[in-house]
Amino acid sequence: MKTKHLKDWENELDICIRCSYCFEDCPIFKELGWESSSARGKILFAYGFLHGELEPSEFIAKRVFDCTLCRLCKEKCSAKVDITEIIEACRADLAKEGFVLPGHKEMLENIVATGNIFGDKEARAPVQDGETPLFIGCQYLARPNRTKGWIKLLEKMGVKPKIVEETCCGFPMKALGDREKLEKQKKDFKKKFPFKEAITLCPTCAAFLKEDYDIDAKHVINVVLEKLGGLKPKSVGKKVTYHDPCDLGRSLGVYNQPREVLSKLGVELVEMKGNRNLSNCCGGGGGMLVSDVPVSDRIADKRVKEAVDTGADLLVTACPTCEQVLSKASARMSEKGQGSIKVQEMFDLLWNAVK
Amino acid sequence: MKVDIQHLKKIVGPENASDDVAELYIYGSDASVHQAMPDAVVRPGKTEEVQEVMRYANKNKIPVIARGSGSGMSGHAVPIDGGIVMDMKRMNKILDIRIEDVLCVVQPGVIDDDLNRVLRPKGVFYPPTPASSRVATIGGEIANNASGLRSVKYGATRDSVLGMKVVLANGDLVTLGSNTRVEASGYQLARLMVGSEGTLGIIVEATLRLTPVPKFKAMAMAKFNKLEDAGKTITAVMTSGITPSVLELMDNVAIKAVNTALNMGLPDVEAIIMFEADGRIKAAVEADMNDIEEICEANGAFGIEMSDDPKEMTRIFSGRKKLFAALSRYQKGLSCTSLADDMAVPNSKMAATVQEIVDVGKRNNVVMTAYGHCGSGVVHTKILMDTTKPGQWDNARKAVSEVYDFVRKVGGTTSGEHGIALSKAPSWKKEKKDSLEMMRAIKKALDPNNILNPHKMMDAPDDWVKATDLRYTTKVQ
Ligand SMILES: Cc1cc2nc3c(=O)[nH]c(=O)nc-3n(C[C@H](O)[C@H](O)[C@H](O)COP(=O)(O)OP(=O)(O)OC[C@H]3O[C@@H](n4cnc5c(N)ncnc54)[C@H](O)[C@@H]3O)c2cc1C
Ligand code: SF4
Ligand code: SF4
Repeated sequence: MKTKHLKDWENELDICIRCSYCFEDCPIFKELGWESSSARGKILFAYGFLHGELEPSEFIAKRVFDCTLCRLCKEKCSAKVDITEIIEACRADLAKEGFVLPGHKEMLENIVATGNIFGDKEARAPVQDGETPLFIGCQYLARPNRTKGWIKLLEKMGVKPKIVEETCCGFPMKALGDREKLEKQKKDFKKKFPFKEAITLCPTCAAFLKEDYDIDAKHVINVVLEKLGGLKPKSVGKKVTYHDPCDLGRSLGVYNQPREVLSKLGVELVEMKGNRNLSNCCGGGGGMLVSDVPVSDRIADKRVKEAVDTGADLLVTACPTCEQVLSKASARMSEKGQGSIKVQEMFDLLWNAVK
Repeated sequence: MKVDIQHLKKIVGPENASDDVAELYIYGSDASVHQAMPDAVVRPGKTEEVQEVMRYANKNKIPVIARGSGSGMSGHAVPIDGGIVMDMKRMNKILDIRIEDVLCVVQPGVIDDDLNRVLRPKGVFYPPTPASSRVATIGGEIANNASGLRSVKYGATRDSVLGMKVVLANGDLVTLGSNTRVEASGYQLARLMVGSEGTLGIIVEATLRLTPVPKFKAMAMAKFNKLEDAGKTITAVMTSGITPSVLELMDNVAIKAVNTALNMGLPDVEAIIMFEADGRIKAAVEADMNDIEEICEANGAFGIEMSDDPKEMTRIFSGRKKLFAALSRYQKGLSCTSLADDMAVPNSKMAATVQEIVDVGKRNNVVMTAYGHCGSGVVHTKILMDTTKPGQWDNARKAVSEVYDFVRKVGGTTSGEHGIALSKAPSWKKEKKDSLEMMRAIKKALDPNNILNPHKMMDAPDDWVKATDLRYTTKVQ
């Protein structure tokens, strides 16, 4: 197998001492149990390909794509091996050999055809002139009302969002291993979004704009924290637990800001067992929502169970994917009589406090 | 004999057995330098399944290698002769916690930290706690006689295991030991299993002695400009009448590594020693800490910092727990290999040993570090080298041999806690030369077909470098 992308990680793969610390709390390993499904297993597959000890197979591809890219493994690794970057490189080399999972291909073709992962030709950014570039991202293009709400809220706080006709940042292409499409998409993105700084509504876009485009991107929650005081928000007065989205927390290091915003809204914050850098994933990342729904669902159910165990009235998060995945999980658990909790995105809480 | 995967699937369920080459590759290595592929992997969920697999394997003379999390450092779970790797992690139930008897009963796949998370709120804990406790299984710990940070006061695994159920090579189930703190009834067979590295039977249940959680704890960190002074301090503390609950040494290589990898902010000095004292009475803990401080000062320590803040204590100890992997970040181009990793030496020889380790590294053109649970006599090292260069492996081979020659000369032992398996076997066989036949006789009596983790310890090859393929791509002559 050609290992064009894994080659860059040769030294990093030698740094790994195979200690297995990255087993701990890997959501996929917890569900599947086989060591091949763990973070160390994926690292070993990468090593095996790189050094010609393994040939690619459907089985390995499934294992390598069964990953939410939650980055908890890197957090647990004492050598700070860049495990998710290695997994993404491994996916890229596998994809080049034709190992692409059903659903993933369609998602990427959608981006090429329409500029968003849903293939929705109608989905358009609400273009407007302003001062600070605001990147909407696929998830919010599919939620136009919520997007309008965020824009209104930002304007209330004195921010003048500049919104352009945009296209997907290309993160799904990196995550799912299509580097050729990614390079083309990046060119297109840079043309359409030629800014040095930006606010984003989605944490994953913020992380990707920062890492791959060198844009000084801020997730909207940072802006809210700066400006919210001026709006004198009403107290929400609820017991709330907060789910750290993987890309907002582990990728961007934004842990305190959402909690401070919640405290300004007068909520009683109770933490789940896994929180901040050790937060457990919602199960919705890495393409799993399309390629392995049963496993993704089980991970989400566990996270909701953690939230229910806190005794909070409300589970709040700051990522649209997390909100959608956790809401569905809560409904599923409620149907099964296993306890449920109301799930909301930070926006809903904010809007109720300032409208 | 080819393994009949369909038969294994019938025993453990189709989803719990595999002979897919990709799965076999993953189960062919652990945290050591070794690698060898099994022919099948099974994941039993109950004792009867373990028994059935053993009956099948024994009849057909197929090796069976029990595996916990594969965090062993010397090739313990690496199937040198192929065969069936038996992943025990599905058997992970805590079966009983009997506070009034201060014991608990667990299956072998329970992870050490998971057990302690359940026990601590009940006022007790299971003390052996290796640095790898977040992943190590109780079965793997028993089979390796693991010990850790607090073993200086609370002992090793052997001191906390009361009894166990074991499936023998022929599939028979036996109950060893007792539920009592003392037992004087014949051969101590439960103890024989401790440290047997999967060569005598498969542990399917263990009865563990618990210890009350101490009410008060305090820690101190002492800095040294000379590694030798740190060594002398350890000897002095351990002969002073105080039994600290932690006494950990880190040399400058180790300090630099955790600072680089984990941004720990430890002082960049020649060596530090971390102490902890614990107990039921605050004044007694404080008195121990004061005495330790005096001993440190008398032996050249400076800038001693004390703390009884649990958060700060956890932060500092967590750096130590993460050291092995962090060492891979010490210097670009060098990787950390677990070689000559855990000898133990008599108290009085501590200072000379830590110095010798660093000197051996220099003589052989590899980087070696000295750290460890030195209060219980365990000195860790690792060899940091460019694993892609065959010449470095020759250097490592020489360095390992020189370190162990020294350890034997001062009356120490090859392994204090990680066990022997493959990479430590050559030196260990020299150390134990007059009891090897006794061990072989025990092995033969319990496992006449030599199917349980064969060719490990006393039966391991004499050159560890060639015992299996290295898990690196480098080929060494
Ligand atoms: C970073 C790091 C730090 C470490 N720190 C320490 C430390 O401080 N102290 C220490 O003692 N060790 C330490 N170790 C070594 C290792 O983690 C321990 O020895 C641990 O007990 C191994 O447990 P495991 O579940 O990973 O076992 P494995 O590595 O899977 O197996 C170890 C041995 O146990 C046998 N075995 C496993 N389960 C059973 C069973 N049910 N029945 C019979 N045999 C069985 C296997 O056949 C094998 O021989 C460390 C390792 C790493 C990677
Ligand atoms: S925790 Fe890090 S060093 Fe250990 S096996 Fe995982 S990637 Fe390798
Ligand atoms: S990124 Fe998350 S799911 Fe993927 S291997 Fe790491 S811990 Fe597991």
